[in-house]
Amino acid sequence: MTVPDVLGGPAAANLGAPLARANPVAKLAVAVAVSAALVLTVDVVTAGVALALEAVALPWCGLGPWALLRRGWIVIVGAVPAGITTAMWAVDSGAVLAGLGPMTVTEGSLLAGAAITLRVLAIGLPGVVLLATTDPTDLADALAQNLRLPHRFVLAALAAMRLFGVLAEEWRALTMARRARGVGDGGLGGRLRTLAGQVFALLVLAVRRATVLATAMEARGFGVAARRTWARPSRFGPADAVVALGGVALAALATAAGIAAGTWNLVLT
Amino acid sequence: MSFTNDSTSRDGTLGGGRDSGGAGSGPGGDGNAPALPPRTLSLVAAVAALAGVVVYAVGLPESIGLFGSPLSDLTLPAALLVFFVTTVVASVMVTRAPWRVVDIVVASVLGVAGGLVFAVWNAFAWEPISGALAFFPPASAILVGVWLLPGVLGGLVIRKPGAAVYTELVAATLSALIGNQWGFATVWYGLLEGLGAEVVFALLLYRAFGWPTALLAGAGAGVTVGVLDSLLYYPTFSAGYKLAYVGLAVVSGVVIAGLGSWALTRAMARSGALAPLPSGRVTERV
Repeated sequence: MTVPDVLGGPAAANLGAPLARANPVAKLAVAVAVSAALVLTVDVVTAGVALALEAVALPWCGLGPWALLRRGWIVIVGAVPAGITTAMWAVDSGAVLAGLGPMTVTEGSLLAGAAITLRVLAIGLPGVVLLATTDPTDLADALAQNLRLPHRFVLAALAAMRLFGVLAEEWRALTMARRARGVGDGGLGGRLRTLAGQVFALLVLAVRRATVLATAMEARGFGVAARRTWARPSRFGPADAVVALGGVALAALATAAGIAAGTWNLVLT
Repeated sequence: MSFTNDSTSRDGTLGGGRDSGGAGSGPGGDGNAPALPPRTLSLVAAVAALAGVVVYAVGLPESIGLFGSPLSDLTLPAALLVFFVTTVVASVMVTRAPWRVVDIVVASVLGVAGGLVFAVWNAFAWEPISGALAFFPPASAILVGVWLLPGVLGGLVIRKPGAAVYTELVAATLSALIGNQWGFATVWYGLLEGLGAEVVFALLLYRAFGWPTALLAGAGAGVTVGVLDSLLYYPTFSAGYKLAYVGLAVVSGVVIAGLGSWALTRAMARSGALAPLPSGRVTERV
């Protein structure tokens, strides 16, 4: 499994869709706005409205239901148990619906559980779309050129990500070499030890490659004080501004709905 | 302890202010780190602590509510944040050590490695293990150290101002990009967790990188994630549960992130992979 595989790449998405085509920084702005608004509150109305608005925008993202499920399963895997745990363990309020020892499900805790689940889903969805429709190289270009983040750091992070794609091959070589030499113990504990040793070997290989890569990059003039030019110019146009503002508007609408309903709560103490 | 120390043979760009300072060796106790100038250290600590205490003493106004909740609920976290940021900013200004390309690339690789560990951990280990710990809800804090490891590791290996924040941020960003249960909120967490470790390196003016520093950095990150989690993800816990959560998060940070990344740094230094970095030159004779 290479990193581009893990990252999925944009293959499964329709990249011509209006939201998929937007500048990565615009998509990032949506994710930032939504997560910032929802991390502040745990309530059903704000999270529910945000999720509903995201669902409305989804047809313009170029992701079919299957692609979405394939890329976003982990969000669902996290959202549901988090809600169930909250429903069982949260401070009780309202009528008791079910109980087993200290575990009680009440109206209040059930509502809190639903809020947690909705919140995880609503925070997660923009991230899933961002990743499924964005090439990491485009993201790095946009971060350095449009957002003006320090380009040495952005490009090194991108290079490191690419490096791990190459390292998948190293992992296979390490596995085969170890098998040929008969390295490795049996049993669950032994296998875990062997795995840990191999992971460490890969980390050492990665750091070695990184130091060589750094020398090669410097030899090509990376990191000098001169003004940098770009092979792939990244543009942030009016359409991208609309997408970013749409994200901010979504977050504001959800928060406003929560406040209007009286459920918005900065920190439940 | 005996050291092979050839720090003079490599670049001269490292550690701008390494010649200043008084006598004795710093708390990290490794031979490469020059002595801490006690006056500068105490100055930085005093400024930061003062700023934090002022925020805590004055308190955020209870009368001003933010959408119905009194701001005073956030006094302690705000004071902590002020303390952390002041410390880091003050000591970065005192320390002035520029990043070389090799520092950036190695930090990025450590961050990406951390992000991949996060991805595997989030998808396959976190839910079942925390589910098994559900008999005592704050017990899941014992697992948070795994998420703090890249920051402490980056700080120990790179030894530059901002290394802990950068490494943790790269790891968290990659984790969010791959996709996890917490979505983009992971990036905020990465930033603050990295800051929690960074504050310890900063307080020691980026000169001490032994095991005490590692454990303290793990503890710093643990406090941060404990407070954050109990505010944002477990707001429904009772006060006792929240206290237990923060305590266990600190223990987890010290053991998994602190001890773990110290051992990992030492093992990597022994393998010779860190040779171009100052952390690779402080090798114990075997």
